[in-house]
Amino acid sequence: MAEPLLSVEDLKVHFFTRDGVVRAVDGVDFAVNRGETLGIVGESGSGKTVSSLALLRLVPPPARTVGGRVVFEGTDLLTLPTKALGTIRGRRIAMVFQNPATSLNPIYSIGSQLGEILLWHEPITRAEAEARVISLLTLVGITDPAARLRQYPHELSGGMKQRVGIARALLCNPSLVLADEPTTALDVTIQAQILDLLADLRRRLGMAMVLVTHDMGVVARMADRITVMYAGRVCETADAATIFRAPQHPYTRALLDSMPRIDHRYTGGARQVLPTIPGRPPNLLDPPAGCRFHPRCPDAIADCRRILPLETEIAPGHTVSCIRRGSQGIAA
Amino acid sequence: MHGTLPPKPPGIWRQGWYRFRRNRGGMLGLILVALVVLVALTCFVAAPYDPNDQSAMLRGASRQGPSALHWLGTDRMGYDVLSRVLYGAPTALAVGLGAMAIASVIGVIIGGIAGYVGGLVDECLMRFAEFFMVIPVFIVILAVVRLFGIMVVGTWMERVPHLNLMTIIALLGLFGWPPVARMARAEFLRLKHAEFVEAAICIGTTRRDILARHILPNALPSLIVLVALGIGGAILAETMVSFLGFGDPKAISWGQLLYFNYESLKVAPWGSVAPGVAIFVTVLGFNLLADGLTDAFNPRLRQ
Amino acid sequence: MGTLNYIARRLLFSACLILGVSVILFALINAIGNPIEILLAERPGVTEEIIEAVTKYYGLDGSVTDRYFTWLGNLARLDFGTSIIYNQPVGDMLWSFGIETLKIQIPGILLALGLSVLVSTLAATRQYSRTDFTVIAGAMLGHSLPGFFIGILLILVFSYWLGVLPSYGAYSTRNLLWDSEIADGLWHMVLPVGMLTIFNTATLTLLMRSSLVDVLRQDFITAARASGLPERRVVFGHALRNAFIPVLTYLGILFGLMLGTAPVTETVFTWPGLGALYIMAIQQLDYPLIMGETMVITVMLVGATLLTDIAYVVIDPRIRLG
Repeated sequence: MAEPLLSVEDLKVHFFTRDGVVRAVDGVDFAVNRGETLGIVGESGSGKTVSSLALLRLVPPPARTVGGRVVFEGTDLLTLPTKALGTIRGRRIAMVFQNPATSLNPIYSIGSQLGEILLWHEPITRAEAEARVISLLTLVGITDPAARLRQYPHELSGGMKQRVGIARALLCNPSLVLADEPTTALDVTIQAQILDLLADLRRRLGMAMVLVTHDMGVVARMADRITVMYAGRVCETADAATIFRAPQHPYTRALLDSMPRIDHRYTGGARQVLPTIPGRPPNLLDPPAGCRFHPRCPDAIADCRRILPLETEIAPGHTVSCIRRGSQGIAA
Repeated sequence: MHGTLPPKPPGIWRQGWYRFRRNRGGMLGLILVALVVLVALTCFVAAPYDPNDQSAMLRGASRQGPSALHWLGTDRMGYDVLSRVLYGAPTALAVGLGAMAIASVIGVIIGGIAGYVGGLVDECLMRFAEFFMVIPVFIVILAVVRLFGIMVVGTWMERVPHLNLMTIIALLGLFGWPPVARMARAEFLRLKHAEFVEAAICIGTTRRDILARHILPNALPSLIVLVALGIGGAILAETMVSFLGFGDPKAISWGQLLYFNYESLKVAPWGSVAPGVAIFVTVLGFNLLADGLTDAFNPRLRQ
Repeated sequence: MGTLNYIARRLLFSACLILGVSVILFALINAIGNPIEILLAERPGVTEEIIEAVTKYYGLDGSVTDRYFTWLGNLARLDFGTSIIYNQPVGDMLWSFGIETLKIQIPGILLALGLSVLVSTLAATRQYSRTDFTVIAGAMLGHSLPGFFIGILLILVFSYWLGVLPSYGAYSTRNLLWDSEIADGLWHMVLPVGMLTIFNTATLTLLMRSSLVDVLRQDFITAARASGLPERRVVFGHALRNAFIPVLTYLGILFGLMLGTAPVTETVFTWPGLGALYIMAIQQLDYPLIMGETMVITVMLVGATLLTDIAYVVIDPRIRLG
């Protein structure tokens, strides 16, 4: 198989708080191939958003990336000089944010904030930049784009703002787009439109995408491959079909079980209640020893408390970190 | 899961205190304020000299630098600087607390009514508050203190002790309420629509109980921050009024000391520096306290 | 249209406010009786006739309401009356003393603005660092130092101990510095401007740093960084302008109140400005001067508030007046 576009190895991001060190991301690996969509799924607090920010060295203090490698097209972004990083950000890798209401600068017009990015990255004139912005706004489905240029974010609807946010990500024709919960803050009807738009654009522009979400439905619809995260570590990575048909990790199974299904009737009988995962996500100030999922895991054995499972390939393209599924591990 | 009810969550005051205790600046402020209060309570016995003792002048020892006899020296009138600075503490606290008591009562009543009743009443009251906010307060206070001082000459009020100081306190209170009113209005407006208040209305709680037992206690944390800031501000304002020569000549206040000793700054700087430091420590204490309280009660602002 | 309407309403409100202040002050001044009588009462050789003549000369006879409307009518023609103590037109005095006040107040605000932008940017971009902590602590200390105490310390250090800067006045009476009036004037400005700068910088920095910290945490800042814009552009172009919005109100008050806070500064440095003049006017019950100065100060404050509102519209597209 060809070298992946982006590969993340042993990424560690810790929050240095007054109460101690929170290991929000603690040894995460994943890879994205050219042109594919990788879905990163997990509950809130699983470290998925922090991971995606860490790729471009955007984690805010008191968080710090303390270890790992982020190799993009052969270079490690974590050790790259700031100036060189500036030619990657926005140009080769771009981001779409969760909340369109807060991710656009309220005091600049749409045209000026998008134009500024283009003018910074590319040696073009103001008029050329404006034409480019208009064509992108058209591409993301914004009506009357020339008029929108002079409008301010607060004058647009939520869905409209997110389209602008997507247009901003596509300005320089990046080869990878990081989309962090791009539809969570939107109305349900708008969500579908934005997802369709993203899928369509990805196909047409041939770029790769990392889609971070807590919504299994979204990844089911969008992702080629899926990485499941729990408490700052990766549980399982496989192609979408495998994850949904033959999940191996107990957490992935529990997640899938807790999805409401349209062909099921949840009438309230003992067996017909929507299953949930017992317990709560661990406090990352003091995570459980061994496998971080073991306190909530139905399959846990004594060794799970002791041995930290490592991601192990159990089938081509399918990695799992669970000693009950044959993963290797290191004793804590 | 364990079959028992979770422990009752701590109330806003206790939670606030937990957070406040971890705020180093806030704790420092609390200590400084406690120090000033302690001095104010004990100065009558702790001061080495009577504040009106000018015997040093008779000994030819006025304007003397710090010594074992006079730890902070003596001023040009032979007063012991340390004793007078200590005696300034009760005056400062009286000014700060008095002015803010007046301002808080007016502010909470006006702001509370505006926020709770709303509509035209709100509009009128807030316009009224706005009027007070764009008056150059300091200038007006100076003029009023002076004019009032002339007006009372020859009337019974002339014999009221510390009339001048009380005038200043009253004026600081009368001009200091608009910020309190604005905050009270915002809080009453917010709490009026809070679920627990609506629930109280549903079960038929009287309006008086809703205001006194549900809304006011929950508005207090935000108001207390303003009061702490206001006390420091009022002390500072009195100091400036006194420094300019419009203070109470019979009261021992830090501003008054600065006013008397400023002209001998060159030969006896301790006479000006000591009360200056006292003002600084007190105002810093209240500012830090207010800052810590903001953090404690609005954790969302800073994490 | 809405904006013009708003400004018209604000102007009307401001006019009412200024009138209100003038009525209250006029009533107060007149409540104490005839100032001429109070001023001249204890002087030897002053007869009833002299008091009467002087009272007439300054137009202090007649009913209070008549006198108020006369005063108001004259004010409309920018005639502030004649100072009782100085026997000069109040308008001229306000102008010449006002220049002296602005000479130290405006540099004091502008320098502070520049410094606080610099310092708070330095601190906010390094949140939780030692630099940040030092800036917060320094700003908090400076903010709690009473302005006049800063002045006193400056005089002690630079005038008395080091002997390098003059402690009072706006000009030397003899031995001009470098025989140049300009150099000498600037030389005298250093300490008063220094005091105002220190005090204003501390307060502005406290406000601006916390505002900037809040803005830097916003998504659109991360988005600007993620778009590859250099940190300089992100901080100065995207963050600072947003962070400035809450500071604007305070800046407006600083400009509006610069005459109102002048008495303290000008007493510390014996500066011949409006503040010192006002103290004199109150002490001597020079009522045309008191009225005139109060009017000018109130108009400044009201005008600054109005300008602040307009500045909000310019800087923040979300705000519409109306």
